[in-house]
Amino acid sequence: MNQFVVPQMRRQARRPELRAVSTFLAMLICSGLAVQAQKATQTQRGNTSAPFSTRATHLLGFSNASNNSTGTLSVQDDSLQFQQNGEPGVKVKIASVRDVFLGAESKQVGGLPMTLGKTAAPFGGGRVVSLFAHKKYDTLTLEYVDGDHGIHGAIFQLAKGQGEFVKSELITRGVTISSRQDQATKESPTEAKHENK
Amino acid sequence: MKTSKYNLSIACGVALVAIMFALSGQLPAQTAAAKSSGSSEASSTPWSVQIDQVDPGNLVLASSFQIAIYENLVEELKKTKRFLEVFREGDLNSSEIPNLLVLKTTVEKYTPGSETRRAVTTVSGATKLSVRSQLLTREGKVVLERTVNGDVRFFGSNLRVTHNLAHNIAKTIKQSYWSGSGQPTAILTGQL
Repeated sequence: MNQFVVPQMRRQARRPELRAVSTFLAMLICSGLAVQAQKATQTQRGNTSAPFSTRATHLLGFSNASNNSTGTLSVQDDSLQFQQNGEPGVKVKIASVRDVFLGAESKQVGGLPMTLGKTAAPFGGGRVVSLFAHKKYDTLTLEYVDGDHGIHGAIFQLAKGQGEFVKSELITRGVTISSRQDQATKESPTEAKHENK
Repeated sequence: MKTSKYNLSIACGVALVAIMFALSGQLPAQTAAAKSSGSSEASSTPWSVQIDQVDPGNLVLASSFQIAIYENLVEELKKTKRFLEVFREGDLNSSEIPNLLVLKTTVEKYTPGSETRRAVTTVSGATKLSVRSQLLTREGKVVLERTVNGDVRFFGSNLRVTHNLAHNIAKTIKQSYWSGSGQPTAILTGQL
């Protein structure tokens, strides 16, 4: 009987410590979430002084940034910057941006390794995987001019929904949008039919 | 008297033959020189090119595709080394260049595809683009006109079609010949 009582007592003795630790952890998690929420709202507020940043993949055209590279796209003061991981950022003046377009694309996830894996899968298993292994992205297309007034274009791939934030941030900072329509809702009907998840 | 006349006629004959020989040698040399100077002028004239933005025509083509074709064209034409300089539309420096050609691209056909359909079925879902490419002089004379196609059939994203198309346009221009004087010897039309 005593054998059962002793561990229970020990557990009871440990309880206050456990409670303190769990309270501390809960507070830590809550504060982390609060910081994230604050960041998200900061990006949505459109405060011109606060820098805006989001993860993006540079597909092509942005100054000297290498194609298909992942990094952080940020709007700071009077410039739009793309910074690859551990490399100096590439900047373009917001005043030189002539137009911004949004689009939507659906891409297969996993890249080349996944593609090879799907090809090697027996009994057409790879095709079934392909049916579900795709993700929707926003594409942000910028049109800007260089020092000699030559027209440049840049395309970024962003997580779904992020494109609108970048666009509104740029509009807040004075970028004018032409009458050309965005393609966010202009996805081809066949593509929309086959790729809506 | 008779001998002097005879000698004179011989001298005239010799002189005539000498002149004929000299002329016969000089004329081919002249034509060869003219030919070589002409061809060298045509081949060594340093042409530059200005790439205009893509005209979607009556089709609804995403701005990302138009920009991607334009950017890929700039890259691919630089790679050909056929032109002294490659300018973008609006570049102020291009106005000072004497031998400038303008590349205009108009979209004629566009078939939107789907990467997922390509991955699932292999045979369907290809993204296809067909454009009319024109090289024009400053005065608006068409030097080269071609219809060029690009597509993505198996692997790669839809935007890859723009890279393939730009590569084909650059290849067509590299393989084509136009008069060095800027006057179209013959308007090259065709399809790749």
